[in-house]
Amino acid sequence: MKVKVRELFFSYPNFTLKVKDLNFESSKITSIVGPNGAGKSTFLKCLCMINTGWKGAVLINGEDLYGMKGSKRAQIIGYVPQEQNLIFNFSIIDFVLMGRTPYLNLLSKPSKKDLEMAEEALKFVGIKDYKGRGILELSSGERRLVLIARTIVQEPEILLMDEPTSFLDPKHEIEIMELIKSLSAKMGKTVILTLHNLDLAIKYSDNLVFMKEGDIVGSGRTQEVLSEEILEKVYDIKMKIVEINGHRVILR
Amino acid sequence: MNGKSNKRIKIGFLLIIILPVLVSIISLLIGSYPISFKDVLKTFLSIFSSAGLKEIPEVYRDIILKIRLPRIILALTVGASLSVSGASLQALFRNPLVNEYILGISSGAAFGASLSIVFFGKGFPVELASFIFAFIAFYSVLFIAKGTGSDVISLLLTGVIVTAFFTSLLTMVEFLANPYSLQSLFFWLMGSFSLAGWKEVLYSLPFMFIGMTFLFLYRWKMNVLSLGDEEAKALGLNVKLEKLLIMIATTIATSSAISATGIIGWVGLIIPHISRMIFGVDNRKVIPASAFIGATFLLLADDFSRGITSFEIPVGIFTSIIGIPFFIYFLKKSGKLWA
Amino acid sequence: MRFLKLFLIFSFLFSSITFSNEIEIKDELGRVVKIKENVERIISLQPEITRIIVAIGCGGKLVGKDYFVHKHDHIFYSIFPEGKTLPLVSRSGADINLEFIIKLNPDIIFVSPTDSWMVDKIEKYSKIPVLALSSMGSFEKLKEEMKLMGVITRKSERVSELINYFESKIKFLEGRVSVEEKKPRVYLSFWSSLIRTPVHYEPVNIAGGINVAEGLSPSYEGTVGTVVSIEKIIKWNPDIILIHGNYPPEERTITVESVLSDKRLGSLGAIKKKKVYYTFGFWFWWDPAEVLFETVYLSKLFHPSRFSDIDIVKEGKEIFKKFYNESRTFELLFKRLKCNEWKIK
Repeated sequence: MKVKVRELFFSYPNFTLKVKDLNFESSKITSIVGPNGAGKSTFLKCLCMINTGWKGAVLINGEDLYGMKGSKRAQIIGYVPQEQNLIFNFSIIDFVLMGRTPYLNLLSKPSKKDLEMAEEALKFVGIKDYKGRGILELSSGERRLVLIARTIVQEPEILLMDEPTSFLDPKHEIEIMELIKSLSAKMGKTVILTLHNLDLAIKYSDNLVFMKEGDIVGSGRTQEVLSEEILEKVYDIKMKIVEINGHRVILR
Repeated sequence: MNGKSNKRIKIGFLLIIILPVLVSIISLLIGSYPISFKDVLKTFLSIFSSAGLKEIPEVYRDIILKIRLPRIILALTVGASLSVSGASLQALFRNPLVNEYILGISSGAAFGASLSIVFFGKGFPVELASFIFAFIAFYSVLFIAKGTGSDVISLLLTGVIVTAFFTSLLTMVEFLANPYSLQSLFFWLMGSFSLAGWKEVLYSLPFMFIGMTFLFLYRWKMNVLSLGDEEAKALGLNVKLEKLLIMIATTIATSSAISATGIIGWVGLIIPHISRMIFGVDNRKVIPASAFIGATFLLLADDFSRGITSFEIPVGIFTSIIGIPFFIYFLKKSGKLWA
Repeated sequence: MRFLKLFLIFSFLFSSITFSNEIEIKDELGRVVKIKENVERIISLQPEITRIIVAIGCGGKLVGKDYFVHKHDHIFYSIFPEGKTLPLVSRSGADINLEFIIKLNPDIIFVSPTDSWMVDKIEKYSKIPVLALSSMGSFEKLKEEMKLMGVITRKSERVSELINYFESKIKFLEGRVSVEEKKPRVYLSFWSSLIRTPVHYEPVNIAGGINVAEGLSPSYEGTVGTVVSIEKIIKWNPDIILIHGNYPPEERTITVESVLSDKRLGSLGAIKKKKVYYTFGFWFWWDPAEVLFETVYLSKLFHPSRFSDIDIVKEGKEIFKKFYNESRTFELLFKRLKCNEWKIK
């Protein structure tokens, strides 16, 4: 699914997001990186219509996002938030089942097939013992996995994830990124992430988008766009790119 | 608590469906006029066959079919209506302390109904004015609390303010009312089923059912909405619209209940909690469960209010006596409420 | 010697002027209040008391009026036109202008026992004696009230005259009624509700009827009403149902027609025989002339054969003339409540 962004313009007090011309490659992983307040999350939320009232065009395979019906959009675009403020202790399986909402109308309720999909998704992300447990009882890492499972059952072509590795320890960081990689490689999903961790971004992304203060500073294939100049421009400090064992690493 | 076995849930549901039926039968026996169980049964069955019609004294038929039966039906429906509304509001606002009273709906409805009783007379349907002002009050709370972040404190505070406002408007109505309307108004405000007849049932039942049906159909979406606005949007819901529709439905359900019987408090707060404690937080179960448990609860409360003493205690007093300790208990247990 | 005589006369006069006796009264809220024996400035927030004061000719001692006689009393300005110039000291049942009342410097304030909060409020901020008095549906208490008014306004003679008149009329009615063996059982639907009824309403008793709710406990202290249920009414199966008729016809929701057509009451004998009538009932307690008239009216209603010679309208005019020195007011009341539709012959 190709995602094209043209003349996206979104402002609120003290901040303006401007994306002139940006394409997201189909079935690839694109990471949006940049300092705090660059507008990465804001951009992501515009792409899944959590933020509305922006100007411009976002075309999904040629179709305008803005005019799309909510349920249809949710069948195409899935969103994994960074933080959640959960109040009710839903069972894990019920929580994942909520991902099927875009396919349910008012009179239909989740069916057996939906249930099977939910169970499959949980298996895929590696959550084994979910029976009898509630969403509030999970660790943040497990909860992140369950969220991804929920997004999987939406069967979206495009996955948006806001800081999927935040609050996770290194082991779980890698786990999540590997999972995301397989989502793109095995399931062919177009994945758009925001990431704080530059090293992870470099290691796992096919494409990078650099943002600063609401603007796109640079974008392209990871190997091509990454440079010490662009890093200094975006982060306002000098950094060095070093190659170790074939991997490029950032030294501050 | 969450992986409740299916079997347990099925048994639970069976119980809560049978319970109101049982209590209804018992309620038919309660009242100042002594009628034996056999006679109650005969009278009830005479609805369906005119065969035994002549045997049964006219007074039995009047009491069972024109006094007790409509009252029972009204109590059941109001109990269900208030409970389902309460559960829906708690999902909508993602907060278990929310209920129709705190959000100003009750006082708005009461004001609307009193305005109608005092100034518009018998011709004008009380339910309409009740609904309009209930909605205005509800909307005001949301509108005022919006800027402050709609966390529970600001919501409660705003609710208190709006409730106070409509209560003072109500006082103004009392002030301007002639003595006749004033008397009937005071009586109505106490919240009771003592004058419930088929007329009250027929006027308010359809609205309560409309409201409840809508909320029932929306129970899955309520689950999603209770995740929070952002996630609900991401899952494809038109959050603004859905919330508005649920608001309207709960207001219809609540205001029609209030316009029939006056203000009966606490039901919308405690019944959903009991439902969740038994069945978990999934609204697919909580909504219907609240309806049945709420119906039983209010019917029992009404039975107490007319059965215990020779004079009738307004049923709202019973729901307060039971509701307030519950409320305090829940307040203390706040963290683990939805487990 | 002459000097001594003068001295004795002066000291006697002097003592009777400066020594006011105090009376101790226990009011309907159980409070014991000391009041002066001679009062000049009265505020009555209890319309029944106000009426008595006017009837005994002491309307001039009133220094303020309450909202009820101003706004809701059908006949107050007819029996006491001067009342129009009296200042208003309350605007609703829930509000008294206490500052203003204190400023008017009354010697005594009368309130209704149903407004105990008024007593608390007045006592909190002033030392003016407050009495919560009402007939509570009883003629004994009504007469006691009248006697008290007579004492404190020094109009005992006039009061005796009225009480004698009252008692003789009652005696007359009782005399004719006592012959009757069968007393009709009566249910009173008061205060705009089918299920609110007074636990004591003496006119019914004097007229030879039995109040089915007699003896029940009132809803709370200071009131005479209680709330029953429709089933209770059916259980009682009264012979006659009386409806509170002191409300003007256009304001009534409980009407003879609505009761006769109430499907729940269909089994009652009173409904079947159409023995549902209006009576006056309390209008924030009683007007002594009106309640006396009501007793005559009810006597004839319950026992028509015994009172076939009584012309109700004539009786009413006579009673009101006795109390208020004119009968125009009676006609006014009669017209306002459309009593001609009450089947009074």
